[in-house]
Amino acid sequence: MLFTWFTLAGLIFLFSPKNLTNKFQFAFHRIFSLPLSIGRNISLSAGARRPLGDVVSRDEYKRLLNHLANVTQQRDAEHQNVEKLAQMRIIPGWERMGFVPADVITVSINELRSELILNRGEDDGLVKGQFVLADNSIIGTISDVDARTAKVRLFTDPKSSTVVRIGGSDWLMQGKGGSLARVEMIKSKVKIGTEIMASKRPGFLDTAVIIGKVARCERNAEPLLWDIEVEPVCNIQKAENVHIIVMNPPE
Amino acid sequence: MRWFRFAVLILLATVLQASFFADLNIKPDLLLILLVFFAVYCNTTEAIITSFTIGFAADLIGRTMGPQMISFGLFGTALAYLHNVIAIRKMTYQFFAIFVTALLAGLLVYFLNFIKGEPTPPNMYAPLFGIALYSALVGPFLFLPSAWWMRIKINRSGRR
Repeated sequence: MLFTWFTLAGLIFLFSPKNLTNKFQFAFHRIFSLPLSIGRNISLSAGARRPLGDVVSRDEYKRLLNHLANVTQQRDAEHQNVEKLAQMRIIPGWERMGFVPADVITVSINELRSELILNRGEDDGLVKGQFVLADNSIIGTISDVDARTAKVRLFTDPKSSTVVRIGGSDWLMQGKGGSLARVEMIKSKVKIGTEIMASKRPGFLDTAVIIGKVARCERNAEPLLWDIEVEPVCNIQKAENVHIIVMNPPE
Repeated sequence: MRWFRFAVLILLATVLQASFFADLNIKPDLLLILLVFFAVYCNTTEAIITSFTIGFAADLIGRTMGPQMISFGLFGTALAYLHNVIAIRKMTYQFFAIFVTALLAGLLVYFLNFIKGEPTPPNMYAPLFGIALYSALVGPFLFLPSAWWMRIKINRSGRR
């Protein structure tokens, strides 16, 4: 009888709407945010290495490199805009964006799922679908949110699909699990290391922002088509804080 | 059964699994190890309660609520009944019990997630096998401190 009741409870959880059952997960992460952060910091510091004297750390190098890629992309876009609409005043994309800083409570990156839990929620202006930045690069979008906690689905999550810009056209990038995403059936070969930009999305992203770089390019089963694998341009596992892009924030 | 100690142990394992072990590529599943521990060292009624509770804790740090609660509850209960017939007290038996339970529970979780409409990763068998293997390797050694904390006497020979 006990077994039956517990199984029934499990089935109720299983088939309840996700926005209801997520409340349990958010409540757990909120209540235990301190021990979760401590555990994560211990794990990070255990794997940390001593920085080399006057050499810039790899994380800092990646952050600056991403910033350069974003600025270059923005400059090119602005240049095109100036050429096309020379008479109109254009507000640069970044100026319309607000950034909500958030601390990472937990990170889950494996073959089955790639998610972060953040200590910011609806009370801070977060809504589903907003893009999340780490080290100046997009790492994912807000997938679930409650008053004070939010879940980020990384672009490498198997459930994630992101529109990216490759060779002047938009392509759908599908998460593959672990630290990789995949874009299939591209018409031309892409060089390994090529920067991949997330496409603009009205209301969420007004300018293309770097999301990853090409880690692998291989032939598709169809002749003349290529598949590429994209990896993040920052170390998401070590990210301690991120920024959420909030478009047109209140002054 | 000391339920307060049980609650503390499960909370500690859940927090560790979601924080300290979250960044590791190769990791044992602490909650699954505890599932087998309680299924082996408690009576059947307690084993049912602990199995579903541990499953609920695993769901709290999982992708969705429900699949692990059902899966852990089902296999924890089955293991408890199996232990009435075959004693799982030797370390080698515990190794196999954890390994098989992890594989079966993991497969059921994928199936339930599939029913719920969650995507099934293309290469799910490798991480499933890895977690099962590492849990089985580490698990029997974690039984000793768990038994000490729960004030349960471990008898590595014979049935309860």
